[in-house]
Amino acid sequence: MTSFALYARSRALPTTLAAFAAATLFTLWAATRPETYVDPQRRIPLLALAPLLATSAIGVSLHQYAQELDRTAARPWWRLRLAHLLALTALAALLLAMAVPGHSQEFGAVAMVRNILGATGITAAAAVLVGARLSWLPTLLYFGAVFLSYSAPHLRTATVWTWSMQPGPQRAAWAVAMTAFVVGGALYVAVGTRRERERS
Amino acid sequence: MTALLDRPATDAPPGPSRAPHPFRVELLRGLAPWAGLALFLTLAWALIAKSATWQGSWSETTVALRMAGVMLGGPLALAAGCWQGARERRRRTDELRASTARGPLAQFMTAALPLALWVLAVYAATVGAALLACAPYASPGGLAPTVFLSTGAVLVACTLTGHVVGARLPWRLTAPVLAVAAFGTFGLSMNASGVAGLLGPIPEYAPDFELLAWWHPLLTAGWFLSLASTAVLAHAACRRWSALITLAAAATTALVLSGTGDTMTHRDPRAGQQVCTTTTTPQICVNATRAALLPEVTKALSGLTDRLKGVGNLPARFEDLPRRSHADEAELPTLTPYGWTVVRGKIADHDRYAWEAAMQMVEADCANPQAPGRVEIADRAVVRYLAPTDPQDSMREHRFESARAADDQAELRRLTAEQKAYDHLRTMSTADRRAWLTRYFAPADRCARTESEVPAL
Repeated sequence: MTSFALYARSRALPTTLAAFAAATLFTLWAATRPETYVDPQRRIPLLALAPLLATSAIGVSLHQYAQELDRTAARPWWRLRLAHLLALTALAALLLAMAVPGHSQEFGAVAMVRNILGATGITAAAAVLVGARLSWLPTLLYFGAVFLSYSAPHLRTATVWTWSMQPGPQRAAWAVAMTAFVVGGALYVAVGTRRERERS
Repeated sequence: MTALLDRPATDAPPGPSRAPHPFRVELLRGLAPWAGLALFLTLAWALIAKSATWQGSWSETTVALRMAGVMLGGPLALAAGCWQGARERRRRTDELRASTARGPLAQFMTAALPLALWVLAVYAATVGAALLACAPYASPGGLAPTVFLSTGAVLVACTLTGHVVGARLPWRLTAPVLAVAAFGTFGLSMNASGVAGLLGPIPEYAPDFELLAWWHPLLTAGWFLSLASTAVLAHAACRRWSALITLAAAATTALVLSGTGDTMTHRDPRAGQQVCTTTTTPQICVNATRAALLPEVTKALSGLTDRLKGVGNLPARFEDLPRRSHADEAELPTLTPYGWTVVRGKIADHDRYAWEAAMQMVEADCANPQAPGRVEIADRAVVRYLAPTDPQDSMREHRFESARAADDQAELRRLTAEQKAYDHLRTMSTADRRAWLTRYFAPADRCARTESEVPAL
C-alpha cells in the first residue's frame, strides 16, 4: 500500500468522500424540486443541513488513531494538515455549490460556499479544543440556534451574528465566515487536534 | 465464630469505602453534564434572541418552547445518546460489560437514563425561566402545560433512541448524521400537512386564535416514548419479544393520532371577543387574547383621541377582531406578531402607531385606494393633523426637494395644496375645526366619497 492510501484509510477519507457524495445528491435532489427552484427561501434549510453534514465528515476525518506515533514522524505535520483541510474544504464547497442551481446570490451557491467555509472553520477550531470526534457538535449547535432565531426582528439585519442565514453576498457575513475559516484552520494546522484518550 | 461476633466493633480494621452507585457516577461524570450545559446554552441563545416574539403571549411562549426544545434539543439528545451508546465499543469494553452480573437492560438504563435526566432537567429549567420571563407581559390564557410534558418525552425518546443507534452502529459519523437527519426530519414534519404533520413532534396550528386540545401533546408523547421503548427493548431486553408490546402501543397511538385531524385544536373563545375603553371616542378595543395591552394602546392613541374630542360622526370604535370592520368601525392597527409593533408589553413607536390608526380612520381599506384629488388632499391634511410623525414630515420635505429638483410643476402644485390645506386645518379655531372634522367624517361609505362630500379646506 502506498503511503497516501495508508493515510487516507487512517483518516477515514473514503467515508468522508461518501458523506460528501450523499450530501451533494440530497441537496441536488431537494434544490431541483420545482417549488424549491422557484422560491429561493426554501433553500435556507439546505444551506444549513448540507454544510453541517459535509463539515462533520471533515471534522471527524481529522481524528488520529495513534497521535503519539504520529508525533514521532520526521516530517513536520503542518503541511499535511493544511493540505488535508484545504483539499476537503475545496471539494465540499465545489460539490455543494454545484448542487444548488438557480440564482446564486439569493440563498444559492454563494451562500453555500460561505457556509462551508465558516462551518469548516468552527469545526476545525472545535477539533483543536474538544477533539476531532466531537468536533461537529459546536457547529451543529450554532447552526441550529441561528436557524431557529434568525427571523427575529432585530436579528434579520444582524449579518455578523446570523452570517450563516444571510442570502449571499453580504460582506459582513463573508467576513465572519472567512475569519472563522482562517482562524479555525490556522489553529488546527498549527496545533493539531486535541489529544484524546485512546479509549475515551 | 462466637469470638468473632463478640469482638468489639471499634477494633475492626476499616473496610474499603463503598463504591458509589454507577447511576450516580454516570449522572455526575462523563458526557451527561456537558450535554446538559450544551443544551442549556443553545436553548438560551435561541430563546433570548427571539424573546421579543414570545414574551407577551402564553400561546407564543408555548410554541417557542416546544419549537426550541424539539428542534434544538432533539438532534442534540439523539447525537449525545448516540455518542454515549457507542462508548463501550469505543473503549473496547463491550465484552467485559457483557460478562457482568447485571442484565443488559439494567446496564443500558444505567448508562442512558442519566443523560436523559440531564436533558430533561435542563429543558424543565428553561421552561420555568421562560414562563417567568413571559409572566409580566402576558394576558391570561393560552398556556398549554401538556406541551412541555410532550416535548420532554420527545427529548427522552430521542436520547434513548440515539443510545440504541450508537450501540448498534458505532461509526464515527453516526452521531452527526443522526443529528442532521433529525433536524431535517423534524423541520419537514413541522411544515407537513396530513398524517405526516400529525405524527411529527410539532403539529402545526395557529396559536393566534386556536387552542391545542390538552390531550393531543400527551398522545404525541406516548407515540415517541413507545417508539423509543420498542428500540430499547429490541436492543437490550432479555425477552426481546416484549418489544412487540410497545410496538403495538406505538401503532395504536399512531392510529389515534392520525385520526385526530380537526379535533386537535379548537377555536380560542377569547379570539372572538374584545375589551374596550369606555372613556374615548372612538372606543379603543383590543382582542381579548391580548387584553393586557389595552392601557398601552390607549396611551399610544391618546394624542389622536385628544384631538378628536368633540368631533361627531366618528367611527364607534377601533376594532381588533379577526373579521372585516363594520361600517361604523375602524380597524385597530395590527399588534401581532409580537416583536415588531409590540415589544414586551410596550408599543415600540407610539407616533407611528397613532399614524397607522389615523390612516385606518381616514383611508379605510378600499378596493380602489385612489381618492379624487380634493378628497386625497383633505385626507392627508387630517392624518397629518391627527397623528404628526417625524418620518412623514421628512418624507414630505424630500418629496418637495425632489419635485423642485426635477421641476415637476404638477407635483409641486399638489404638495403646495396639501401644505395649504394642513395649515388651514391647524390654524382654525377649535370650534371651527371640530365642526369641519364632523362634516369630514359624515360620509358613511368612505370608499365612495366624491369631492362634493368633503368640506373645503
